[in-house]
Amino acid sequence: MSHPKLANIFNEDEKKVDWHDKALWFVRHKRDLSAHKVKGWETLREFGHQIKAHTLANLDQYLIEFEKNALSNGIEVHWATNAEEHNKIVHRILKECQAKKVVKSKSMLTEECHLNPFLEERGIEVIDTDLGERIVQLAKESPSHIVLPAIHKNRHEVDDLFQQHLNTKPCNGDPQYLTQKARKHLREKFINADAAITGVNFAIAETGGFVVCTNEGNADMGAHLAPVHIACMGMEKLIPKQDHLGVFLRLLARSATGQPITTYSSHFKTPAKGLKMHIVIVDNGRSEQLGKPDFRASLHCIRCGACMNTCPIYRRSGGHSYNYTIPGPIGSILSPGKDLKKHSSLPFASTLCGSCSDVCPVKIDIHSQLYKWRQIITKEMKQPMLKRKSMKIMGSLFSNPTQFNRFAKFCRWALRNLPKSILYAKPNVWGKSRELPKGPKMSFTEWHQNRENTKRMKNNG
Amino acid sequence: MDSRSQILTKIKANKPEPMDLLHIDPSIFDEGLDVVPAFTKTLEAVGGNVCPIDSMEAVHSKLKTLLPNARFTHSTLENTHEINTFSFDAIERPHDLEDLDILMVKSDLAVAENGAVWIDDSKFPIRVLPFITKHLVFVIEEKAIVPYMHQAYEKIRDFNFGVFISGPSKTADIEQALVIGAQGALSLTVLLLTADTTP
Repeated sequence: MSHPKLANIFNEDEKKVDWHDKALWFVRHKRDLSAHKVKGWETLREFGHQIKAHTLANLDQYLIEFEKNALSNGIEVHWATNAEEHNKIVHRILKECQAKKVVKSKSMLTEECHLNPFLEERGIEVIDTDLGERIVQLAKESPSHIVLPAIHKNRHEVDDLFQQHLNTKPCNGDPQYLTQKARKHLREKFINADAAITGVNFAIAETGGFVVCTNEGNADMGAHLAPVHIACMGMEKLIPKQDHLGVFLRLLARSATGQPITTYSSHFKTPAKGLKMHIVIVDNGRSEQLGKPDFRASLHCIRCGACMNTCPIYRRSGGHSYNYTIPGPIGSILSPGKDLKKHSSLPFASTLCGSCSDVCPVKIDIHSQLYKWRQIITKEMKQPMLKRKSMKIMGSLFSNPTQFNRFAKFCRWALRNLPKSILYAKPNVWGKSRELPKGPKMSFTEWHQNRENTKRMKNNG
Repeated sequence: MDSRSQILTKIKANKPEPMDLLHIDPSIFDEGLDVVPAFTKTLEAVGGNVCPIDSMEAVHSKLKTLLPNARFTHSTLENTHEINTFSFDAIERPHDLEDLDILMVKSDLAVAENGAVWIDDSKFPIRVLPFITKHLVFVIEEKAIVPYMHQAYEKIRDFNFGVFISGPSKTADIEQALVIGAQGALSLTVLLLTADTTP
């Protein structure tokens, strides 16, 4: 289903949409407060951008360096060209150590590869241990946000889910009680796990180590208790030096939630004595994206979610309306690279206001990439008749100033004088569930010219 | 061709022109932070407690007043055997640590801008300890606090596993309501040895 259709479904519950919108805007606001406290924030963003650009330009060498150092640290390194190979590698490792129960911390990559169903079909229990992810897992849904996976659920829905699956008492959605019960439930899973899977926030070529960030401590509870730790990383997670973490860890949490840093930033370098550690490096379309000069900067992404929190479309359409692992503006520039046809409505799920690019901690030009995808999609895919025709008319209108001025004048008059039944008639989608503006008497150009004239007269007089 | 070569070949063909790695001079971020009050304020904002102490001897009494009901406690500091209620030698699997009430660890590095405390596994014998313990207590000398992450990484060199911890574990996954005490420690306290008494 296309984004507009799925967004319509989300918009059936207006109260929920309002809450969703406000909750995410609040997170965006916290990001602002936090970022503005940092001296040189813009420089920090620029550094983030530059380090990532440099890494991508030397990605093969850095991957080789990373592998060499990881191996000498005692970590086993695996390479997967696509999702299926990734899943097979993880399954093989689990089979080799006879793991039946697996705990997993948040990893968008394993979501992208659909690892959970793959393992479950093969008789392995996979428990998502991030509270938000556990909630959506119990609800048999997918995360609707990369940092706040269950942001689309309210407390009463969580209450019901926990009563059903964790035998909790009805608590009117008390978050304290529900979190406590989840802690108890997950403790048991951690203690009995045969293997732990985590994502990777940053992998460091220079040291062969990697960093995993969480607030709950779930990645560490899993990784240190289970005899086997498998870390799955998209190959763009690499950075050259450990010192660069100084830049990225300052940017990440502030951009994500407004926290100065996540509660836990765990630096894994060698497996603990007697335990095993694996890293799976995954391509899955990334090297393809690297070859597209207009879109390669999308690989800078550090998965903070700031572009989602700020996006007026995301906030009002919900993560599930994107129908892609990574929703929101960043997902809308990543997904067409994977499957142009399937995700062709996503680059249009934007006002092109540019707020996403403004908050992006690594300065990805998200909104201009959205625009560029639109050009490609419109050329390569047949657009609906109405859109084709109206674009053609608009094109000729905008290229002729006299005609444009005349048309604009008519529109201003129409907005003031036509009856509502015509203004809000069905073909005018701009009048759908929103009030049209009152047509001003003057155009902006006329207003500006008048103002300049008055100024000049005053000065002369 | 195996997957590794396939991936590397494709990257080689598709990667952009090489560009230089920029040099970062952290002094451009310097705003003359007063590190001790900044660290305290930030740590408290993320749910941690800071207790100034004037000597290492005060650690024991402070611990007793802070968490009087703790039964299983362990400290990795020197001369703290009276705090330790059990020995790790008796622990066969990390899972047996589930009942640990307090873990106390000395840290040599903390960061003012975000209230994060660095510990690596040279400071504690089992990796899961700082996460599985109910309450986490760090002992830090004031001089161990650096202003920003950049200065912290200048000091971090050799370790096998290390972690920055900023406050107790937390989540806001249920309707954005902040709850302290998710999967890791329920509370975090820093005992801060004041500068003039630091040897």
